[in-house]
Amino acid sequence: MKLFDPHIHMTSRTTMDYEAMAQAGIAALVEPSFWLGQPRSHVGTFEDYFAGLLGWERFRASQFGIRHFCTLSLNPKEANNARVAQGVIDLLPRYLVKDGVVAVGEIGYDDMTPEEDKYFGVQLELALRFDLPVLVHTPHRDKKRGTERSLALIKEIGFPEERVLIDHNNEETLPRVLETACWAGHSIYPHTKMDEARMVALVKRYGAERILVNSAADWGVSDPLKVPKTVALMREAGLAEAVIETIVWDNPVAFFSQSGQLDVEGLADRPGIDQTRLFEGNSVLRGQAPVVEGQTPR
Amino acid sequence: MDRSSTRSPQSTLAPVALLFQELISRRGGEPARRWLDDARAATGPGPDREAFTTAFVGTARRLGKGPLEPSAEEVSRLQAVGVTWPVGGWGLDELGRATLLLLAAERLAARELLDLVEECYRRGDSRERQAIVRAMSLVPEPERFLEIGVDACRTHVQPLFEAIACENPYPAAYFPDLNFNQMVLKALFIGVALERIVGLAGRVTPELGRMAGDYASERRAAGRSVPADIWRATGER
Repeated sequence: MKLFDPHIHMTSRTTMDYEAMAQAGIAALVEPSFWLGQPRSHVGTFEDYFAGLLGWERFRASQFGIRHFCTLSLNPKEANNARVAQGVIDLLPRYLVKDGVVAVGEIGYDDMTPEEDKYFGVQLELALRFDLPVLVHTPHRDKKRGTERSLALIKEIGFPEERVLIDHNNEETLPRVLETACWAGHSIYPHTKMDEARMVALVKRYGAERILVNSAADWGVSDPLKVPKTVALMREAGLAEAVIETIVWDNPVAFFSQSGQLDVEGLADRPGIDQTRLFEGNSVLRGQAPVVEGQTPR
Repeated sequence: MDRSSTRSPQSTLAPVALLFQELISRRGGEPARRWLDDARAATGPGPDREAFTTAFVGTARRLGKGPLEPSAEEVSRLQAVGVTWPVGGWGLDELGRATLLLLAAERLAARELLDLVEECYRRGDSRERQAIVRAMSLVPEPERFLEIGVDACRTHVQPLFEAIACENPYPAAYFPDLNFNQMVLKALFIGVALERIVGLAGRVTPELGRMAGDYASERRAAGRSVPADIWRATGER
């Protein structure tokens, strides 16, 4: 079974992670733009960050046989940073039309400040204008209220719910999201958010429709193999293969293909690995023999 | 360094700055005395902003990062000059940097001081930022530093979060409800004991109680334990 991790921050991960993910069956992923663990103080750093997500990171993924897509935005946390917020919004139009940008995101709430309200709304409008779905982060703190307010703002702006993925759900927010036409993501984390066993219980209760799981792995303590590990536990718990496949492949493909930027037919085959390729003159190799599929390494 | 001709008279500032200098010289021996000379020069007439920032940043190398750990006698003297919250966890580097800020505050016009503090914060490493948020409530017109205090709460660097949230009177005194409540929730979320938040009891509101109650409910739904001290935020024991 091919797996799709619809939320993972690969810029923070190593080539060994890519290898392990490919080996575990991950064939495609979406990397949302977010914050980098410490505040950025210049808009220009976002230009380089976006360029990295669109170029170098996509190339790195391809070198291990994984298709890499991204979502771009001003993240909720840095919406509060007046030094960069408006400048990033002004940048976005020229980036949202690039190849492989499959949504506007992560947007949403962190502290639920007036600034977050403003930029959440502005970016929903941007997504409407650029005909893209949105990936909505729900806050760690005051999550239930944050989810309610996100759903309310989406309704108020008239953003089509079927083009919204509400992420980081838990037992209390999932039923609320499923009452709408939005999709519901779940971040399987070692200690916070959601774990594999709780996820299995949720699927048994609510089924597979519009439900996604992701690792949300980043620079913090996290695990890029949480999607395959959740699949393993789902199997152990006796969930049907079709149910599992809906969650870890069909749903993310269906959701992000609404962008028109996901080559659904191309996704059927894993990209062939050719490590002799370079990105702007750079290789991911450090003196190793390049792997070229169909050939024995020299 | 530019000086203001309209500096406001400070009744509490000088005693705190003097006591901090005494605490430093008691601990650091000869290097500390040399640091104090430089600190006074960097905040006295003549030097420019670069002299200040160099002194501010270089403090850790000169004073080290050992804990202040004041004696009982020193604690009562600190209380007498208005430092009524625990400062035992401050490092000597933080005490030194706080002293520099107090000395600069005596000489700079309000706008210039704010610019200087913002620059030191923005370009600061975590220890430098900790020193700033710890010293903010001791500098005149502390409300002007609100943005820095709120920013420090957004960090993922736990010692910096604790420097603003714990053993610090600033949030209870100056944070709007929204930011104060988020700080308390974050403390619960990352396992910081609520008793360390100065003035929490006086800031408990129905909204904070609701947020803490929702958090407890979310924890129970996930099959997890609820922090034992959550009653400090709900106001219900």
